[in-house]
Amino acid sequence: MSEAAKLSIKALSKRFGDLEVLRDINAGIAHGEFISLVGPSGCGKTTLLRIVAGLEAASAGEVLLDGRAVRGPGGDRGFVFQSDNLLPWRSVFDNAMIGPEVAGRAGPAEKSRTRDLLKLVGLEGFEDYFPRQLSGGMRQRVNLARALAIDPQILLMDEPFSALDAQTREIMQTELLRIWEKGRKTVLFVTHQIDEAVFLSDRVLVLARRPGRIQETVSIALPRPRTLAVKRTAEFVAYVDRIWRLIEDDVRASVIEEHA
Amino acid sequence: MATIETSSPAALPAAPPARPSEPLSVRRFAGLLSILGGLALWELVSRFLVANSLFLAAPTQIIAAIYSLAKSGELWPHIWISTVEFVLGYVIASVLGILVGMAMAESEVAKKALQPWISGLYATPTIALAPLFILWLGIGIWSKVLVVIFLVLFPVAINTEAGLRTTSPRLIEMLRSFGATPRQIFFKLSLPSATPFILTGLKLGIGRGLIGVVVAELFGSRAGLGRLISQSADAFNMPELFAGVVILAVAGIAMTAGFSRLERRLVPWTRD
Repeated sequence: MSEAAKLSIKALSKRFGDLEVLRDINAGIAHGEFISLVGPSGCGKTTLLRIVAGLEAASAGEVLLDGRAVRGPGGDRGFVFQSDNLLPWRSVFDNAMIGPEVAGRAGPAEKSRTRDLLKLVGLEGFEDYFPRQLSGGMRQRVNLARALAIDPQILLMDEPFSALDAQTREIMQTELLRIWEKGRKTVLFVTHQIDEAVFLSDRVLVLARRPGRIQETVSIALPRPRTLAVKRTAEFVAYVDRIWRLIEDDVRASVIEEHA
Repeated sequence: MATIETSSPAALPAAPPARPSEPLSVRRFAGLLSILGGLALWELVSRFLVANSLFLAAPTQIIAAIYSLAKSGELWPHIWISTVEFVLGYVIASVLGILVGMAMAESEVAKKALQPWISGLYATPTIALAPLFILWLGIGIWSKVLVVIFLVLFPVAINTEAGLRTTSPRLIEMLRSFGATPRQIFFKLSLPSATPFILTGLKLGIGRGLIGVVVAELFGSRAGLGRLISQSADAFNMPELFAGVVILAVAGIAMTAGFSRLERRLVPWTRD
């Protein structure tokens, strides 16, 4: 796995002034793998994702995508944001086209590809709608289509379903798996929901806090394709329970800190 | 279950809650009735209470005055001159104002250097400088154009700057993640998101610009609606004085309404 890694993170650390946010992170992600990062708030999982995206610089260490060091944002990585970040004056279609447009590649081929992607995420017929006319779940579908429209090597997802209500979130999780099964992009997914991470991932990287570091890597051996029914199986519950035990003390500490 | 799929076409903005004590017919015509009532009251007061056309003109007399001024051809040069003054000043001030606002949003130095002047001159009743401008530029149109520029420039600049500065950092980050250049961020994000603010500045400029034209003309001019008003005042011709005022009021209302329509078309996302 590690020699053919799509993405490798090597001896990466990050400080904000005196605060050590990430310490010596090492990880390799194989092509087509679905990896989640979970951990209590303040464990630096979002910072790690932003460093991979090139939105933030590492203090030490490096990130390699297909063997090349990441320096700044690029079209080989598609970022799906926590809040949908759609441009309110653009239609669904024009929002999804922003990536190719910025790259100066908004030709007919990209347009028809984007149309297909919107169909794939379940937005066929909504191409000319504006963000204000869409529900939260639909906006996140646009967010996802927008990231896929640049045909990235890896998809970086930052708690994309955290603002949705519980039922919508479950629907979106199965939708994401359905879409992922179609193209099998490499995915790095940040979440604080353990069950979400277990349901979606091949492997879950469990982070500890202060400083953020990888505490354990849990391989999820649940068969694919997965449906929501898997969440009620004993194996699933056992995985969630195991990961919860790993971070429980940290979560308690972070909750106390936040309320202090 | 599938809560996401339920929202279909355009969620329309909710109508204000109906008050059962106010019947629909009254609510619908309240504005119109208020105007008609006001006009009727005005007519009655000027015919029976004041009854002296040296002090007040009735709406019917004003309409008659507009009609005869139009028929004699006397009205058109006044309207034309005021229009030219307004349009020149307004367009120049809008372009300059938007550019100044952009400069202030882009550069900290420009902001520090320009801010005190912009804020100071915005708050100053620069219209009082009109006599000075007439002294410099003569009683032709350019002194009025300059007054209009002074009145319109600052609200446009201030709003442009504010609009560009409020660009959402989250959206900047989104574009950055796709590798957008600062130039792309400006044209694809900052400028469109500042558009509602710029339009507000331009709308504020309409009323201020009209005041500028008229007051500057009152201080000294050969033609224009302000000239018509001051001429009529000198001759105690109230119907013609009010004719000038009414034409200006109608122009102001029409332009502001036109602007609101433009806003709904250009920036529909700001509605609800």
